Amino acid sequence: MIKIYTTPTCVYCKMAKEYFGKNNLAFEEHDVSKDEASLNEMVAKSHQMGVPVIDVNGTIVVGFDKGAIESALGTGK
Amino acid sequence: MIYDLIIVGGGPGGVAAGVYAARKKIKTLLITNEFGGQSNVSADIQNWIGTRTISGFDFTKALEDHLRAQEDVEIIDDDSVGSVKREAEGLTVATKGGKAFKTKTVLIASGGRRRKLGIPGEAELNGRGVFYCSTCDAPVMRGKSVAVVGGGNAGLEAVVDLLPYAGKIYLLVRSDLLKGDPVNQEKTEQSAKVEVIFNALAQEILGEGMVSSLRYLDKKTDEKKELEVQGVFVEIGSEPNSDFMGDLVRLNEKKEIVVDPKTQAASLPGIWAAGDVTDGLYKQNNISAGDAVKAVLNIYDFLKGN
Repeated sequence: MIKIYTTPTCVYCKMAKEYFGKNNLAFEEHDVSKDEASLNEMVAKSHQMGVPVIDVNGTIVVGFDKGAIESALGTGK
Repeated sequence: MIYDLIIVGGGPGGVAAGVYAARKKIKTLLITNEFGGQSNVSADIQNWIGTRTISGFDFTKALEDHLRAQEDVEIIDDDSVGSVKREAEGLTVATKGGKAFKTKTVLIASGGRRRKLGIPGEAELNGRGVFYCSTCDAPVMRGKSVAVVGGGNAGLEAVVDLLPYAGKIYLLVRSDLLKGDPVNQEKTEQSAKVEVIFNALAQEILGEGMVSSLRYLDKKTDEKKELEVQGVFVEIGSEPNSDFMGDLVRLNEKKEIVVDPKTQAASLPGIWAAGDVTDGLYKQNNISAGDAVKAVLNIYDFLKGN
């Protein structure tokens, strides 16, 4: 399961969601600008406040890092 | 195989160069790790000529799309240039991903990056309260106290980005004047949340795991003061991405590539530069694109032996 923590103005969040869409990857989005519990969860998982944070089945990727996401999914080159 | 031209960078400069080079049938390779350049993260661009308003996201897409629509431009979009060297037979461009290419000419359009304060705590707390992009990170500061460092447009715009979210905003300005556009100055003056502190020199960012305060020097009284803040937005301008050039071409004291404004030629024959990485006086998307076009037309003449 992919969880992505985002804010509305975050461009890399948009790019990540587009990437998931293109690759038919289902994901759950949490807007941390509106949902404090999600913000706290994101900070606890990633030890920092920048978005996006992508939780790929427990592996935490900070930023839209395609390589790290593909690694975590087991689909890396 | 030797390219006619390698373009370094995928912002408005790099892409403008790629489009023109393709149309001139110049054998071209463009290397970038990301399209769009610094405006990628902009919420709203209103001065890209021909377009009343466009988000950074859409601007990036439009640039990439225009480049990919060209024939005969090779594109590497997931790597960045690590070095440019001159060898007996020509120029060699090596990427951080381990590839190397030979070329007759190089156009550097690698742009700029946010300037850092260079103070203790800044690197350690990067992303943990220290931020360089207010459009990206203002929304996580809901209800918090933040400091913005920088009295130019970047600083003022960061304050405006933070107004809907932060509980309190301190704007630290090194001089005794705000330098940004009057329109932005008005917006910051109108809010009770904003406190402008002039003659302030940021000295240290403190916090255990996350930012908890910012220490600064009051230059007028010589007193050291501390602000309790959970965020520090550093908006003090940019520096050129010229490190990978080493001493191949002449750089000015700001490490910008010195170019002939008529041709965009750098100090070494075979190398041109355009955009924020150069010593051009003004840093604007429209200028980067224009200067890159100039460079390609000059490169075309050079290749044809004119």
